[in-house]
Amino acid sequence: MPQLEVKNIETYYGPIMAIKGISFEVEESSIVTILGANGAGKTSVLKTISGVMEPEKGTIEFMGKRIDHLDPDKIVRMGISHVPEGREVFHDLTVKENLAMGAFLRRDKDGMARDLETVHAYFPVLEARRGQLAGNMSGGEQQMLAIARALMARPKMLLLDEPSLGLSPVLVKEIYDIIKRINEEQKTTILLVEQNAWMALSTAQFGYILELGRIVMADPCDELMENEDVREFYLGIKEESVRGSKRWKRKKRWR
Amino acid sequence: MALGKLQEAGPPAPGVDTVPKLFWQRVTEWADRTAMREKKFGLWQDITWREYGRMARYTGLALVELGLRPGDRAAIISDDIPEWLYCDMGIQCVGGTTVGIYPTDSPQQVEYVMGHSGSKFYFAEDEEQLDKILEVRDRLPDLKKIIIYDMEGLRDFRDPMAMSYDELLELGKQADQRDPEAFEKLLNIPGPEDTAFLVYTSGTTGPPKGAMITHRNVLAGFHSQRQVLKGYLEDELLTFLPLCHIAERGVTALGMIMNGWVCNFAEEMDTVPQDIREVSPTVFFAVPRIWERFYSAMVLRMKDATWLEKKAFNLAMAVGNACSDYRLHLKEPPVHLRAAFKLADWCVLRNLKRFVGLDRVRMCLSGAAPISPDLLKFYHSLGIDMREVYGQTESTGAATMHYAGGTKFGTVGEALPGIEIRITDEGEILIKGPSVFKGYFRDPDKTAETVRDGWLYTGDVGLIDEDGHVVIKDRLKDIIITSGGKNITPSEIENQLKFSPYINDAVVIGDGRKYLTALIMIDEENVMKYAQDNRIPFTTYKSLTQAPEINKLIWREVEAVNKKFARVETIKKFRLIDIQLTTDDDEITPTMKLKRKYINEKFKDIIESMY
Repeated sequence: MPQLEVKNIETYYGPIMAIKGISFEVEESSIVTILGANGAGKTSVLKTISGVMEPEKGTIEFMGKRIDHLDPDKIVRMGISHVPEGREVFHDLTVKENLAMGAFLRRDKDGMARDLETVHAYFPVLEARRGQLAGNMSGGEQQMLAIARALMARPKMLLLDEPSLGLSPVLVKEIYDIIKRINEEQKTTILLVEQNAWMALSTAQFGYILELGRIVMADPCDELMENEDVREFYLGIKEESVRGSKRWKRKKRWR
Repeated sequence: MALGKLQEAGPPAPGVDTVPKLFWQRVTEWADRTAMREKKFGLWQDITWREYGRMARYTGLALVELGLRPGDRAAIISDDIPEWLYCDMGIQCVGGTTVGIYPTDSPQQVEYVMGHSGSKFYFAEDEEQLDKILEVRDRLPDLKKIIIYDMEGLRDFRDPMAMSYDELLELGKQADQRDPEAFEKLLNIPGPEDTAFLVYTSGTTGPPKGAMITHRNVLAGFHSQRQVLKGYLEDELLTFLPLCHIAERGVTALGMIMNGWVCNFAEEMDTVPQDIREVSPTVFFAVPRIWERFYSAMVLRMKDATWLEKKAFNLAMAVGNACSDYRLHLKEPPVHLRAAFKLADWCVLRNLKRFVGLDRVRMCLSGAAPISPDLLKFYHSLGIDMREVYGQTESTGAATMHYAGGTKFGTVGEALPGIEIRITDEGEILIKGPSVFKGYFRDPDKTAETVRDGWLYTGDVGLIDEDGHVVIKDRLKDIIITSGGKNITPSEIENQLKFSPYINDAVVIGDGRKYLTALIMIDEENVMKYAQDNRIPFTTYKSLTQAPEINKLIWREVEAVNKKFARVETIKKFRLIDIQLTTDDDEITPTMKLKRKYINEKFKDIIESMY
């Protein structure tokens, strides 16, 4: 049985339908990615899973239990941690305090200390800067802090919303290496939403492509990377035209 | 855009016997009237007849400067935009012949049409259409000039053969200033028997053929159609089907110069539902597929309605139905029924019509493919005067039509004035009249095969009923003869299937087989909605077509259709087409019909699996 099963969810922002009925599943300890352009509905999917948004229709099951319509804190308790887009850390708190916030719901002091060590092992820079205000750190460091904070809740599943956003290629690679390590070593399931298709496809095992609130493709990542449409529209690999430059795009087919 | 007093367009002036002359008469008569509208930056912009005339004039004169001689061909490859019409008229006014190419055609198809027609000029909408010709131009010795409408992305593009449309217009303007009388002289060059335009028809056998439509053909259609359908200067159209197809060409380009209809260009195919609500056309021509869509939209809208709304809708439709029954027998409904309909319309139907943008519509036409009689009936119950038109490219569009108040479901109406219809012993429909085309360009053999003694062999099988209405059965070559020797006309069954809101199109198979089967293309929107409402999980389109619940749903629809037919005509098995076909695919026509021949080939294995 998959760890997460999303069935027919529809989510609205006021009168606007952001997710037009999608279904997908995530296997335990896997890395799954959802790709899509701006406004495709990627963030809404994650928000719906973590309980920040409520689906109008459809069901979400986590480890066999319905979690749609549960409050976000209950969902965190069940083991899903959400790292929102845009490195939302508490700017006026120190690194250490930020990490403590991640473990807010926990009472086991020993476990928390062990996890803090693990987190520091993944992100040594956070240990070095533990007394610094989070707001004074660089974008890459804030992203690391956001991920680290989520790990402090000891999640079974991590929802990552565009961890590469606004970061230099070197930093993106560094963060992705850590994401892979967390998945391998902690067996944490990772659901990754990205615009950086290349990074996401080479990290994840299975991918979904979301367009205008609907899934148009669902395949293992190595197959997606070979797909003609994915190559042209997501990886930017184009056939050359007779003129040498080509600005127009052919129709997407998704097959 | 409220409809005030209605005015009919005047007849062609004496001596006006070609499209250019009629066009110029209209430009002079209607100079300050709106000819067309285009949506730019979110606003509908008016283009007057004077402007239309000026653009056509400059285009024509510039082409002459560049070497266009009477009888030469010039091709246009573009979606429906004002430039399409400017160039079409510009080319014809200086004695040229317009060749329309489908914007969805591949470079190879473009090469065929350009090569076969020997076109000297190629009007390209944009970069995409430009790239097609650049890829194949080495093999097109007749090509002289490429003209591009939209130069976006081409600032650094230099090529001795290419120029922008603005540059062409400038050339025409200069020529006009040098010799202001040149254009009027050129207008008189083409004669009624000269070819106004070529229409390439997608041949189901062999390469496309270029039907030659003369000026006489066009004007003949004018006289006969006008006797059965009234057109007013105040009428508004929505133009969105390809202009290179005879149907849209006839309704828009010719409807404009004949009836003064105002053409409103839809922004894109995808925006048609919004555009139609904004324009709220008074005359609306569409292919059955579009009518099916509106029907599904309205029916599904009612499914989401409350109990009371549903009751009200059913009651209103019953009243509408009773009213239309009277009208279809050319009788005025009794007063109480008319009053009831007014009420039903006011309370229910009007809102529903507004929901799809048909609240102002005065006359609807369906053509280019057979439509289910049930669908016609549905629209009549809504109080919409919907007529079916039958014709072919080779008959310059309409040959038969439902006359005003003379709609008879299941028929395609009566022969237009001046048109004769005959049925051969094999049941083939023949058409004779002044709108029958001149022949296929550079193909005397095919011409001789198609037109014999002035009779156009349509390739359609049908009959003329006791009221003189023509009933179309099917394409002669599509008739299925099962291994049991039964003759079956697949399109009757297919039309019934398409009437289901969940089925977009279907191809019935069974020639030389023991029983009938079908390949079905689902209606994506509606089936997805069904899946959502019934919590059927799916990811992609493919997985949707494989969901057992969806196959059950379609099977129920097929069974409902089966009940209407004899046992040998029932469908025993079906498969859903699991890829989304787009107009770029060979399997589908630009008007979104499944092409039997290609479908049979492409899905050979799937078809075999059903036997």
